[in-house]
Order: sequence, then C-alpha cells, then structure tokens
Amino acid sequence: MIVERRLSAHIDWLLVGALITIALMGLATIYSVTWDLRPGFDRPGPQFWTQLYALPVALLAMTACLMIDYRTLTQQSLVIYGLFILALVGVMVFGDVRMGARRWIDVGRFSLQPSEFGRIAIALVLAQIYGEGRRGAKSFGDIALGGVLFAVPVLLILNQPDLGTAVTLIPVFVGVVFLAGLRLKWLAVAAIVAALLSPVVWMFVLQDYQKERVETFLDPSKDPRGKGLQQIQAKVTVGSGGLFGKGFRQGTQGGYGFLPVAHNDFVYSVLAEEHGFLGVLVTLALYLFVLMRSLDAAKLAKDRVGTFLVVAIISGFAFQVVYNITMSAGLAPVKGLTLPLMSYGGSSLVATFAAFGLILNVRMRRFTN
Amino acid sequence: MLSQGAFEGRQEVQSRLVILRVAAVACFAAIAVAFWVLQVVQHEKYGAWADKNYLRTIPLRAPRGVLYDRNGRVLVENRDSFTIAFLRDRTANLNAAIARLADALGLPEDEVREPIQRAIARRDPVFRPIPIVQHATLAQVIAVRARKLELPEVDVQQVPTRRYPTDGVAAHLFGYVGEIQDQQLGRPEFSGLDVGAQVGQSGVERIYNAKLQGSDGRRNVVVNSVGREIEPLGQDDPIEGARMQLSIDYDLQKALEDAFRFAGYGGSGVALDPATGEILALTSLPSYDPNVFAGGIDRKAWSSLIQDPLKPMTNRLIQGTYSPGSTFKIIMAIAGLEEGVITPDTKFTCPGYATFYGHTFKCHKQGGHGTMDLRHAIEQSCNVYFYNVGDRLGIDRIYKYAAMFGLVGKTGIDLPGEVESLVPSTEWKQRTFKEKWYAGETISVAIGQGAVSVTPLSLATMMATVANGGTLLTPHLAKAFDNGDGKGWQPFVPPAPRSRLTITPDKLQAVRDGLWMVVNGAGTGGRARIVGYDVAGKTGTAQVVSNQNKALATSRGMDTRDNGWFVFFAPRDNPKIAGMIMAEHSEHGPNAAPIAKHLIETFFAKKEGRPLPVLPNTVKAGAQAPAAARGTGARGTGAPGGGGGGGGR
Repeated sequence: MIVERRLSAHIDWLLVGALITIALMGLATIYSVTWDLRPGFDRPGPQFWTQLYALPVALLAMTACLMIDYRTLTQQSLVIYGLFILALVGVMVFGDVRMGARRWIDVGRFSLQPSEFGRIAIALVLAQIYGEGRRGAKSFGDIALGGVLFAVPVLLILNQPDLGTAVTLIPVFVGVVFLAGLRLKWLAVAAIVAALLSPVVWMFVLQDYQKERVETFLDPSKDPRGKGLQQIQAKVTVGSGGLFGKGFRQGTQGGYGFLPVAHNDFVYSVLAEEHGFLGVLVTLALYLFVLMRSLDAAKLAKDRVGTFLVVAIISGFAFQVVYNITMSAGLAPVKGLTLPLMSYGGSSLVATFAAFGLILNVRMRRFTN
Repeated sequence: MLSQGAFEGRQEVQSRLVILRVAAVACFAAIAVAFWVLQVVQHEKYGAWADKNYLRTIPLRAPRGVLYDRNGRVLVENRDSFTIAFLRDRTANLNAAIARLADALGLPEDEVREPIQRAIARRDPVFRPIPIVQHATLAQVIAVRARKLELPEVDVQQVPTRRYPTDGVAAHLFGYVGEIQDQQLGRPEFSGLDVGAQVGQSGVERIYNAKLQGSDGRRNVVVNSVGREIEPLGQDDPIEGARMQLSIDYDLQKALEDAFRFAGYGGSGVALDPATGEILALTSLPSYDPNVFAGGIDRKAWSSLIQDPLKPMTNRLIQGTYSPGSTFKIIMAIAGLEEGVITPDTKFTCPGYATFYGHTFKCHKQGGHGTMDLRHAIEQSCNVYFYNVGDRLGIDRIYKYAAMFGLVGKTGIDLPGEVESLVPSTEWKQRTFKEKWYAGETISVAIGQGAVSVTPLSLATMMATVANGGTLLTPHLAKAFDNGDGKGWQPFVPPAPRSRLTITPDKLQAVRDGLWMVVNGAGTGGRARIVGYDVAGKTGTAQVVSNQNKALATSRGMDTRDNGWFVFFAPRDNPKIAGMIMAEHSEHGPNAAPIAKHLIETFFAKKEGRPLPVLPNTVKAGAQAPAAARGTGARGTGAPGGGGGGGGR
C-alpha cells in the first residue's frame, strides 16, 4: 500500500520533529547516565545501544501506522484487539520472568513487552465503539461494552503483575468516555465511587509492596534507606541541578548511582540534574507541543472515529508523561512507570512512535474520503 | 432513561477538546512551578545534599611531633605501623571473606568477625575500612599481601605510631597516646577531633597534645552509591605535630632509673636546675611501657596494669602525698631564721625528749643530742631543736614559709593529674574541721608529721628554692618547640616565679652548711657524699602506717616498711642541681641517698666531659626486665638493696 503524494504533503512534520527531538534527548541522557566509570572502560552502557537501535525501528513502525488508513484499522480493531489479548495470554504462558514479573516475550535477539502495545489496541477498539457517528448520544450500554473490552486486558496486565502499565490504560478509557460527552456530574460520581472503593482496593487488591510504596510516599523519612530512598534521592537529584544544571555527563546523582534505575523510570530526574531548570522548561515545552499538535489533529479529524482515536492515544500518553515527570521530582509515589519517548525501553519507544503514527494518520487524511 | 442523562450532545466534542487542552496546559504549568521550587528556590539545600552523597573524606593521620632531650637526642619518634583493614563494600559473601582472612592471619574467625559486626551495628558507612588487626606483625602483613588476589576486600594501611624508648625510660614523663574517649570528644582541648583520633592520654603527650598532635590530613574521593572510590579529588596532606625539646637529659634520666633499679626500690625521683626550674630527670617506679598503649592495648593488659597492687600507672612523684618527715626541718630552719625566732647560733639542749603543753615528744636519739646550734641540729636531725623552733614560730608562720617554698598546693608542673600538697594552718583547720588549732599540734608539724602531706615533687621544688636563694619556680619539662612554621626552635617561656624571698645570705649559708654536714659530716646522708662536689642534703622517713596499726597492716600482707627520703642540691655554694629521691619501703632516708649520689655523679661527669659512672650489672638488668613489671621484679630485692648503693663510702 503506497501513501499517495498528496497525503504525504499533509504529514505534520513539526510533530514528527518534536517526537524525534524528545527521543534524541532521551537517548543522550541514557548515554550520560549509563556511562561506565570503571577505569579503562569509559563508554556508554549497553542500554544506550539498545535504545539507539530501537529508534529506527520505531520510525519504521510509525511509518507503517501512517500508511494504512486509520478507518481500515478501526474497522479491524476487534481483530487487532483479539490478537493483543492472545499475546497477553501468551506472555502469561510462555513469557520470561524478570524482576518478579512475567512481561516479556523473546523475539529472536530482542524481547518484547506486548502490554506496551495495549494502548494502541484499546484506543482503536474504543474509537470504533464511541466514534461511530451513526447513532446519537451514547447509551449506558456502550459504556458497559467499552468498559468490558477495556477491563479484560487491564486485568491480564495486572496479573503479570504490572500495575504501572495497567494504570496507564485507565486514562485511555476515561479520556474517551469524557470526549463521548459523559456528563461531568457522572464523572464526579465515578470519582466519588472510586474514592469510596479505595479502602477496598487497599485491603484486597494492592500487594504489600504497593502499599509500602504509597506509605513511603506519604512519609519518605520513615524508611530513608529503603523504599523512601528513591523518592528522596529523586528530589535531591532534581533540586541539585539548579537553574542551569551540572552539565552533560556531570551529574553526580545519576552518574554515581545514587538514584536507582536512573536510565529508566528516573531518566527525567537525570535530565533535570544535568540540564537544570532550563532543560526542564525546554522538554516540558516539547511535550506540551506534542499534546497540542495532537489535539489539533483531533480537532481537524474528518470524522468522530479519528477524533476519538487521537484522544484515546493522547490521554494515555499525557497521563504517563505527567505522572512520570511528577514522580521523577519525588512528588508522586514511586511506580514502575516510564517516561514515553525518553526512558530506556525499546518496546515502549516503538509502541509510542507507532501510536503517534496513528495520530499523524488521522491528521494526514483529514481531507480524504 | 439513563442513556438520556448520561451523555451530553455530540456538539459537545469540540468544546471538550478545548477542556482537554486547558487541562494539559494547567498540568504542565503546575509541573513547571514544582520544578522551579525544587531547582531554584530549594537548590542550595539539595545541592549540598548531593555533594554529601558522593564526596567522601578519608582521614590521614598526622605523625605526632618528635620529642628530643635537652641535648637534641631523639627520645620519642614515630614508626609506621600496619593496620589490616576490611573493606565491606568489596565483598559479596561476607562469611567466606571472613573465613579467608582469618585463615591468612592465623586468627580465630570470631576475632575477625567481631569488629566487622560492630561496624555494621554502628551503621558505619560501607566505604569506611574496618580495622581488623592494628599494629599487625610483619608475618601477617606478608601473608595478606601474598594473597592479595584471594583477598580483594583486605587493605593494608600504614599508620604513623608512637615509638617510645624500648627500655621504658621515663614512661610517666612521656605518658602515652590512645584513641580519644567518648567523654573527651566534647571538650574544648580536643575540638575538631572525631571518633578514632589518637590523642595524648597521659604525661607530656597529654599536656602538650594540642601542639604535638599536628593536624590530620584528608583525602577527598568521589564514591559511587555503594561507596566504591571512583576517582581522587585531591588531598590535604597531614601536618606533622610540633617538635618538642624537653628539659630532660637522657643520660641523667637513665642514671636515675638505673640507680633505682640497682638499689632495688620503687618510688620516685626528680632532679632539676634550681636556676630555671627545668626538670633534668624524672621518674616514678614501677612504671609501664608506653609502647603497649601506642600499639593499642588489649583489655587484659590494661586491667592487669590497673589492678596491679604496686600501681604502675600512678605517677608517684605528683600523685602520691606523703609525710615529709625530717626533710621538713629545712623549712623550719629557714622560717625560724627569717622570722628572727632563732639565729644560726641559737642553741637548744636535747635530752632525748621534750615536753610541750603537757605532752612529751621524743627525739629519735635515745639519751639525746645534748646542746647544739642550728647547723648541728640540721646535721643530726635533732627533733627537740625543731620542736622548740616550731613552738616559737606557731603554725601560721610555718605555713607561710612552707607555701613560699612550694609545699602548699600544686607545683604547677606540666604533667597531668598533679595532686595538692598540704601543710596545715589555723585557717585550714577551721575550714576543714571547724575547730581551732591547738598549739600542741604545731610540735608534730615541726618535724614534718601531723597533717603535713606533700608530693615528692613539691619537696624537690623546696630544695630548688633553697638552692637558688628563695625564688619559687614552677618545675617544667618543656624547653623549646619547633612548630614547623619556618621560625625554627622557639624557647618555651615558663611561668613567672610564684614567690621571691631573698633569704639573708648568712642565714641561708647556715642552712646550707647544715645540709652539707648531713652528707659530709656526721649526718645521715653520708652515702651521697662525692668528694669535691659538696653535696648538701637531708634524709627523712615517711611512715607508711602509724606504729599502732603496723602489726595489723602487716598481718594483712601490706608492706609496712617506711619510705625513705633524700632531698639534695649540689654544690653547696652555687648549686647546679637540686632534687629529691623517695625510695619506697627503704625504711630509712639513708637508703635513698645512694640513688641521689649516682644521679649527681652522672650530672657532674657529663658537665665536665668525663666518662659517665656505671653501676655494676645495671645495663644488663635494665635490658632484661620487662618494663611494665620492672618495679615488681625490683621489689624482690628490696630489703638489702640499699647496702651496696654507696660504693663503699
């Protein structure tokens, strides 16, 4: 399938540029923080190379998602969704156990995290259900159907267990339902119900280590050497960066290993340490630009399916960005949640670029029929 | 119904997109503010915190200042000792590492494990090396170095350590160094020091610690989160402590200790320069080996030193008080003359006893000394003569002169732990017992008994004051310091004289004559006579227990034999040396005199460039006896020891 020339003229190159810029800044930060300090080594860690190789793959995936008309994809969304569920079940049966969680499937030399791609599948299926413009206002039954379709993969991912990824799927659903016109008072009711249910969740759903994380967040000094360490060190890392930062490869918190998983969940802390508040402003502006351009695409979309698809994707993305950046400043409970585009992780990078491929897809085809 | 109420109309989509837009901008604005607060407002706090994370300072111990004698001879210096330390952060399997190290060192595993467990319990940072063996033997160092590859978590550190003379000479003078104690950490004299610092704990090491300790250096290193050193960040070299010259003359010091050893007594002795107050030699026996402390004393050795009934840790010279006995008659003579209650020619008759205020006081010579003047009373040490002088003076005038000659309070020597000497007065009795002084009590004081209780050093100070004609100087050990600031040796400025009495020359001469006759006439000090050197002196006896309690104390195993004093200066007319010998349990002062004789002979021989006198067998005996137990060994020959000291004179 070839993209027609008049379509490619409508590709949002600014958005593409912003995405690649952010990804390259992430790559540079990973280069800095994984640097091997042992005498005689003096080179970046293997994570840098993995991420570097993932970037062209991600661009390829984005291109692939551009080429097929998004309406074809939404029409086939149930099939895609079914494949995704199968993959999750596959992980459950065949997956590798790493760090106590079964999340990965080996594909040749690489390993994949299927849950990273869940957002796309769920976005497609929800866009199809809620964006199909034939009918008027959505019925409560539609919510229930969407809820079930949404809940199955969430439960499967929770079972891995990967609370972080499961949580990032929730905003996808919430965003779509909000856009579909759910009255604000119902959202308020939902919020109240959630608040009332939270003790139940606390008692019966959350695992001990998750409870500890929340408790530690509320009072990090309770355990400054253990669970509270990351949160305190995240603040120290960010705060010590100052206005202008310590400079590229000059960070002490990330570079000397005082901040755990600095190349992954806390990559943004390291960026804030090395490039200071100015670096923070630049990256925040880039992320905000990505959100605004995406919402432009949602507004410009020629049909409701397109609008819903963009919002579904961008809701999950925005939530993850906001949560991770807040956490990287020690202002939110520590959770295994990466920063899209910047954190180390090939699957995540590829999935994110693929998702933005769909957003570009919607905007590009705003004039076609 | 629900479906009608749950959703807004479809035109809502565009306005909801706007809401999402506004929400996104609001979120990002809030995040930017949060980062502003952390990175700009609170930057200082977190910046300092981050620095603390990765910058470590490792102390480098400064060598202490070298101690020299008055002739520039090195007395105390430093050697490198080896500490075998364990680096906790370099091992994954602690138990296996402990087993390997214990095997290499030839120690039981528990001895290796214990300090490691203490460090963990103290929550020491993982990068801090844990000392396992301090002052390791060469064999241990070689064993560890040879197995370097098997023992990556073991480090051998060189630490400067004190080396004292191996024969234990002048242990009480030098003192010893040891790790700073918890209760010392807060004191101003130890400000800036941290746990683990080595400080002077006794002797000169303690008094001049601030000068001698130098300042420890530090090595700054960058460490990673598990404490591994990544790169050095510069180093402040340790600054060696000030070099110190003592007033001690090593040869005299050795002579003093040899003479004690040869005579077979414990006790104390000191010689000083009467013109300056500089101490030429100083000892207290039995003593200890300060090297044992420098090497990190173990609990067993420490408690055996502390529990030793002979109290080797006590500096008898300044920490023991005794009744001065007949040596106090020197004060009586000077006070009597200066107060005009007697002249050198005043005569009293001694029938062997005298009666004052209804009590009879005995003289030590049965049948009495007959009639004699002051010079002969000093020579014969006649009690009756001085009973009369004391009765004429009264207690407060005795007290006044005792104070002017240094027998009241502390001498002020630059050694720690000095106790006060006591000579009674009416004011003292009123203050202490709320009672008035009875004139009869003065009679006992006149022969140095009763409440009189003085340190041996204060008697030496008295002799120096008599020798220099009445100037009470502060005895001291410091002579000069070289602070290493390029100014070279700076003389130590001793405290100003505490009192200045100009004794009328003919009166002073009468006392000096009497003291000369003690040694060179028919007196009790003949064993200190040196032909041509006019030694002047006075013997005395300090009772250990009163005659009434003697039997009881003896039955309990106490050594109740009296202590013998000999105080001296020489030569009589222009004294160059003054001092005191106190021989414990030597029974009589005359037995202390030979020790003084050897000391004085050595002094003049050295002064005149003659070969130093040698006591038979002392060199060998000194080398053999272990320092800490020296006093104990010497004690065995205590009773007959005095006999040979005079060399036949």
